[in-house]
Amino acid sequence: MTLFERGQLGRIRLHVLPTKRFKTFAISLFAGVPLSEDTVTETALAPFVLRRGTASTPETKAFRERLDDLYGAGFGFDVYKRGDSQIVQFRMDVINDKFVASSSPLLDASLKLLGEVVTDPCTEDGAFRAKYVEAEKQTLTKRLESIVNDKIRYAAERCLEEMCEDEPYRLHPLGKLEDIAAITADSLYRRYEQWLEEAVFDLYVVGDTTLDEVTALVQQYFRPKAGVPGVYAVTNVRQERGDVKTVVEEMDVSQGKLNLGLRTGILYGDDDYAASLMYNGILGGYPHSKLFLNVREKESLAYYASSRLDGHKGLCTIQSGIEIQNYDRAVVIIKEQLESMKRGELTELEISQTKAMISNHLRELQDSAYEMIAYDFNAVLSGKDRSAQQLLDQIQSVGPEDIVRVANRVQLDTIYYLRDRKEA
Amino acid sequence: METLEYNNVQETLYREVLDNGLEVIVLPKPGFQKTYATFATKYGSVDNRFAVEGEEPSKVPDGIAHFLEHKMFEEPTGDIFATFASQGASANAFTSFDRTVYLFSATEQITANLETLINFVQNPYFTDENVNKEKGIIEQEINMYKDNPDWQVYFGLIDAMYHNHPIHIDIAGTVESIYQIDKETLYRCYENFYHPSNMLLFVVGGVDAAEVFELVRANQASKNFKPQGEIHRYFEDEPASVKIPRKVTKLPVSLPKVMFGFKEKRVGLPPAELLEQEVLSKLMLDALFGASSSLYQDLYEENLISDSFGSEFNSSDNYAFSVIGGDSPDPEALLGKVRAAVEEAVKTGISEEAFERSKRKKIGSYLRMLNSPEAIASEFTRYRFRDSDMFDLLPLYENSTLEQVNARLREHFDFGQVAVSIVEKAGE
Repeated sequence: MTLFERGQLGRIRLHVLPTKRFKTFAISLFAGVPLSEDTVTETALAPFVLRRGTASTPETKAFRERLDDLYGAGFGFDVYKRGDSQIVQFRMDVINDKFVASSSPLLDASLKLLGEVVTDPCTEDGAFRAKYVEAEKQTLTKRLESIVNDKIRYAAERCLEEMCEDEPYRLHPLGKLEDIAAITADSLYRRYEQWLEEAVFDLYVVGDTTLDEVTALVQQYFRPKAGVPGVYAVTNVRQERGDVKTVVEEMDVSQGKLNLGLRTGILYGDDDYAASLMYNGILGGYPHSKLFLNVREKESLAYYASSRLDGHKGLCTIQSGIEIQNYDRAVVIIKEQLESMKRGELTELEISQTKAMISNHLRELQDSAYEMIAYDFNAVLSGKDRSAQQLLDQIQSVGPEDIVRVANRVQLDTIYYLRDRKEA
Repeated sequence: METLEYNNVQETLYREVLDNGLEVIVLPKPGFQKTYATFATKYGSVDNRFAVEGEEPSKVPDGIAHFLEHKMFEEPTGDIFATFASQGASANAFTSFDRTVYLFSATEQITANLETLINFVQNPYFTDENVNKEKGIIEQEINMYKDNPDWQVYFGLIDAMYHNHPIHIDIAGTVESIYQIDKETLYRCYENFYHPSNMLLFVVGGVDAAEVFELVRANQASKNFKPQGEIHRYFEDEPASVKIPRKVTKLPVSLPKVMFGFKEKRVGLPPAELLEQEVLSKLMLDALFGASSSLYQDLYEENLISDSFGSEFNSSDNYAFSVIGGDSPDPEALLGKVRAAVEEAVKTGISEEAFERSKRKKIGSYLRMLNSPEAIASEFTRYRFRDSDMFDLLPLYENSTLEQVNARLREHFDFGQVAVSIVEKAGE
C-alpha cells in the first residue's frame, strides 16, 4: 500500500501521497478545535464567510470565477465533530494539467487559492466584510433550521443530542441558532484569529506531486505561523447511564424513525477497536447482518435497519424506518439482537462474511484519494498510527470471544422515536 | 474482442457482443484494488406497456420494475447478499426511469463474484410467499420517500409536467399498485426484459480484460437463451404542454422548496442530436444559473436562494426537461427574478466569457468523474442504452460554440412550457 510522506511547516502538518493513479490532485485541509459551547457557532460560521472572497479577490463572483478558471475545481468545506473536537475541513479537487491545455500549473493555483481563503480573507477596517457576515449568518440559520427536513438525519442527530445531553458532543457541529444574532463582523474576526492560533492544522495532498513541491507551495501561500503542529485531545468516555432514556417526539410524518444510541466505550486507538468493528458489522453494518435479516427480511417491518460505529466517541447507533404502530415490536426485535450477541450467538458464517466485508472496504480505500485521506486522518485524531493493512490483519485475528467481550461492554443508553402526531 | 482507445483521457475499453446478444465492456484501471461490475437491463419504471415481436401489448402495475429488482436477490438457496458477503463483495441494485442495474464491488474473488452477479440476475425465483413478503418492505420504502421533501419536490415537478408519459409515475409505484403485483406478472416482465440481448455487463477496475471475456463467454455458452424478437414499448401520446403549471405539496420543511422546469417540445431526437442537445443545455444552464453567474450572486445576495440552488437537464428519446431550483423563502419572488433574467438573456445572449468559463468547468468535472469507477460504469451504461457513447461528451464540450448555446437558449426557454413544484409547510 502507498504511504503518505510527512512534513511540517510551523503549525501546519503536511501529508503528501505521490501517485499517478488519479486524474486529479485531491487536497484537504483539516482544522480542529475542542468542541465547546462558547465557540461552536462562531467556529462553524467562519468558513462560510471565508469562502465569500479573499484579500486579492474580494468579490464573490470573481472568487467563483477563479475556481471556474481552474477547470471548475471542486471546492467546498464541511464542519463536523469527531470525538470531542469540532473540525472544519476544506476540500479542493482539481484536474491534473496533463489532460488540459492550462496556462498556469493547477496545483500551484489551487494551493494559492486555498492558502488565501484560510489565511488572507477579505477584510474591511480590521474585521470581516460586514455584508458577507450578515449574509452567511442567514445561510447558517437556514442550514440549522433545515436539519428537520431530512427526517432520517434529524432523528439520528436528535438521538445523539438526547444521549449526550451533558457532554459537548450534544452540540451540533454547525452550532446553535440562538448564538447567531449576536455575532458581528468584528467578533467573528477575533474568533477567526484565535482559531488560526489554536486549531490543529493538517494539510493533505494526493496526486502526481512530491512532498518537496507541496512544502514549497505551502511556505509561499499559507503564511505558516511559527510553532509546532498541535495534537487532538483524548476523547472523554462517559460512564453508563443506568436506566435507558426513552424520548418520543411527534411530527407530521408518514413513517416512524426509530433510533437507538449505544455506548461501546471503545475508541479508535483501543486494542478492542477491530473487535468493535466486527461487533457492529455482525449487528447491523451490512445486508447479511442481524438487524437487516431480522427486522427487514424476516418480519418485513422496515426498508432499512442498520447500525453504525463511531470509534472517535465510543458509540454505536442503530437506525430504522418503521410503520408507526410497530414501535414495540421493532424495539423488542432490536433488543433481542443485542442480547443474542451478548450470549455469543454468532455463526461461523456471520463472522467470516463480516470479516470479508470489512477487509474489502479497507482494501477499496486505496482507490479513492479522499478515502485514503479520511483513513489516514483517523491516526492524527486518535494518536494511534495503524495502517489499513495492520487493521486488516487485526480484523482477521478477531475471534468470537472478542466479539462477545465487546457485546458485553456495549450499553443501550437512549431510545429515540420520531412518530406522527397522535389524535387529540 | 474489440479495443477502443480514448487517448485524450488515457483510457482503453474492450468490447464484445456475445452470440446470445449480451454486450460486455471491460475498462481495466491499472493500479486499482477494486473491481466494480454492473449488470444492467434496459428496463425501467417507464416501460409499463410493452410486447415482444408477435405478442399483444399489455400494461403492468406501476412499480413493477423496481419490485422485480428487489425480488431478484432471492434465490432458492437464500439471499444472494449472503453469497456476496461470503466472497467479500458489497452488492446492490437500483431502478431508474429507463434501466435496472445490479452491481458489486470487490477486491478479491473477482471470478466468483462475477459468476454470482451474472447467475443470480439470470435466475429468477419468485413464489407467492416471497412476493407477498416483499410488499411490506417496499411499502416502507415508499413511505420513506413520502417524508422526503427533496424527492417530493422533484417528482412533483415531473408530475406537473407530464400528462400521460409514465415518467410522472413514482419509480417504486404506489402502495396500492404494488399490492396488485403477483409472481406471474413478475415472470412475464422478467422474460421480456432480462434477455441477454437487452442487457449490458460493464466491468471496471484492476482486472485483465481477456480473463473477464473468457469467463463471461463460458458462462453464457453454458446457458440456453432462445432468440428474442424486438421489444416494443408503447407510450400514449404526450401533449406538448405541461399538465398543470403549479403543484404544491405539504410537508414539514423549514423553508419552501421550489423547483421549476421547462418541458421540451422537440423530442424524439436521434442519438447524436440528443447528446448534443444535452451538452448545449448543460452549458446554457451553468452559464445562466451556476454559482459564478450574476443571477446566482444577485439571488443569493437578496436571500432568495441558498447553497442548495442548482439546475440540471434530463432527457431521453421521448422526454426532455430542465430542472432549476432549491430552497427559497419566497418562491414567487424567485420565479419572477429568474424569469426577468432569462428573458433578458434570451434577448442579449450569454457572454463569451461566461460561456468559456462554463465550458472549462464542464470539461473539468467530466475528467474528475473519470476517477470514479462507479460513475464511469453508471454513465457509460446510461448513454449506451440510448445508443450513444459517454466518451463522445468530451469532444462535444470542447467543440461547442457560443452560437450553438445561444440558439439552444432561445429554443428552450419558452414560458408557455414552464411548470413549478413547491413543497411547503401546512398553513403557508
